[in-house]
Amino acid sequence: MAAADARDSHRRPRWGRFILIGVALLFLGLFLLLPLLAVFAQALAKGVGAYVTAISDPIAWSAVKLTLLVAAVAVPFNLVFGVAAAWAIAKFEFRGKSALITLIDLPFAVSPVIAGLIFILLFGSHGWFGGYVRAHHIRVVFAVPGIVLATIFVTFPFIARELIPVMQAQGKDDEETALSLGATGWQTFWRVTLPNIRWGLMYGVLLCNARAMGEFGAVSVVSGHVRGLTNTMPLHVEILYNEYNYTAAFAVASLLALLALLTLAGKSFLEWRQPELRHAAAQARDRTRRGIK
Amino acid sequence: MSIALRGITKQFGAFAAVKDIDLDVPTGALIALLGPSGCGKTTLLRIIAGLETPDEGQVLFDGRDATSWPIRDRNVGFVFQHYALFRHMSVFENVAFGLKVKPRRERPAHKELRKKVESLLELVQLGWAGDRFPAQLSGGQRQRVALARALAVDPGVLLLDEPFGALDSQVRHELRRWLRRLHDELHFTSIFVTHDQQEAIEVADTIVVLDRGRIEQFGVPSEVYDLPTSAFVHRFLGQVNELPVQMRDGRAYLGPIDISPSEGVTDGRVKDGGATGGGATGGGATGGANSIALIRPHEIEVGPESAGWPAVIASVRVIGPIVRLELCAEGLPANEPLEAEISRERYAGERFKIGQKVGLRFRRWQVYPASGAAA
Repeated sequence: MAAADARDSHRRPRWGRFILIGVALLFLGLFLLLPLLAVFAQALAKGVGAYVTAISDPIAWSAVKLTLLVAAVAVPFNLVFGVAAAWAIAKFEFRGKSALITLIDLPFAVSPVIAGLIFILLFGSHGWFGGYVRAHHIRVVFAVPGIVLATIFVTFPFIARELIPVMQAQGKDDEETALSLGATGWQTFWRVTLPNIRWGLMYGVLLCNARAMGEFGAVSVVSGHVRGLTNTMPLHVEILYNEYNYTAAFAVASLLALLALLTLAGKSFLEWRQPELRHAAAQARDRTRRGIK
Repeated sequence: MSIALRGITKQFGAFAAVKDIDLDVPTGALIALLGPSGCGKTTLLRIIAGLETPDEGQVLFDGRDATSWPIRDRNVGFVFQHYALFRHMSVFENVAFGLKVKPRRERPAHKELRKKVESLLELVQLGWAGDRFPAQLSGGQRQRVALARALAVDPGVLLLDEPFGALDSQVRHELRRWLRRLHDELHFTSIFVTHDQQEAIEVADTIVVLDRGRIEQFGVPSEVYDLPTSAFVHRFLGQVNELPVQMRDGRAYLGPIDISPSEGVTDGRVKDGGATGGGATGGGATGGANSIALIRPHEIEVGPESAGWPAVIASVRVIGPIVRLELCAEGLPANEPLEAEISRERYAGERFKIGQKVGLRFRRWQVYPASGAAA
């Protein structure tokens, strides 16, 4: 009886497993793979020639360049801020800590459209600092600085949010050990803290980058939609789409998707290059083989 | 390096972690800070390391005031309970860390560094593990790596925070003996924190018993074990039987029964609460009217029925070399039996059985005032 029960309990998860895997694959295909394929299929619907023409359009190119520029400014900025904020929150006790955590979450809670409007209110011609920026001939709203500011605001929480739990879980022991061994604060950061958080940091950067390149709402409000000047890729896609230029719209969209795929590939490559990760993986395989939990 | 603490006090908010601690650790000593959780032992260790700053008092290293020195200038080796190995570095790199972060002119040459790290790994019996990563080692091996890493910078003092707390009992036992041997070989000054009295007694030259932020007692292990100065220390350093007694004319009564140790077999002493009893009003040799007698299980003599306090054996349990008896003594509630320990040989000779009537005598005991004992 007991043996039969045991065999049953072994057999039951088998088809249960197939169902679970099947459902997961179905959803994956339906909601991730199919749309991705549709983007590329639509982009190439009128042949490769039309695709190349669409993406070699100088206006499309300026949108690509602007998008990359915005990400190149916003991501490093949030990288520095995210590490600093997570460090402060995870490793120190201070008054107002929970207020700071709540503040970091603010961009998640606020609609991107409002995020964009905030900068219009601040730097627009009738805004709080509108007079100042006009007097100094700086263009913020309806120009690149506004787009960068709005993007930074929207992507603010990604890296900090990713790092805070990682750093809290790791505690201060490693850093204290490094200091007791004679390391300076700077050496401790580069040799101990940063390697400990690099995976969390990388996911944070990936998410931040994806959002920085893909942000639509906030950027749309501050951009002013000047073709070839203040249109990022998402904005350009929308304009082309609204003009019924589907091939061009999807061609640019496919470029955006390609950028996302590239960052994912880069991440996988870095993981693959890490020797001790391979060690850990090999060890896990070893353990399952020997049946040790 | 000798270490001295002078009037160290540290508050965390409203909680006083340590209060006005004075302590001298001579060069080459191996000292245990022993106490229950929350007694301030880890805080004290972290203050010595420079990981916490005391609110008041001074930390002296070799007589020099080190209170405000940053941790990296103190030349202390610190070992954590959970090893704190750098997980992205190999064992070799972990041990080499302290040497590699030295300023360029103090940094040993490549070959020299390699030799030093390898000899340290040999010392901790991990010469084969240099290329491994911490995740590939067992707990005991990891703690040995942590120790080698701390020793790599030739620390003036080694500070260990519950170093064996996360290990299973077999490994813990081995590592204790190993640490003791290592200390006898190298003579570094070390202070370790533990809540395990067994560990403190086995490893340390001197035990410092802490309770609620204060030093309760300071002495060599046998002295602290045999001559505790307070009921707290007595209880903390091993099993005890507790009897509420009334002291009258130098004799101890449990209700109407006179259970004083009989002359000749006892050196039972009456304490007036010890030096740190705190507010216990002295009753001198007569104690308070209400007192508490503490007797260790091996201090109870189990004899024939006629020869002492009458009791009935409630259970017999053989535990390796000793045999533990539970005894329901006359005048005590049946659910609060006394525990006595006798040797296996004695047990083989006497053949005690459950239900057997015996007489108890106390070889030694100590009486504390009930107020101090209840704290």
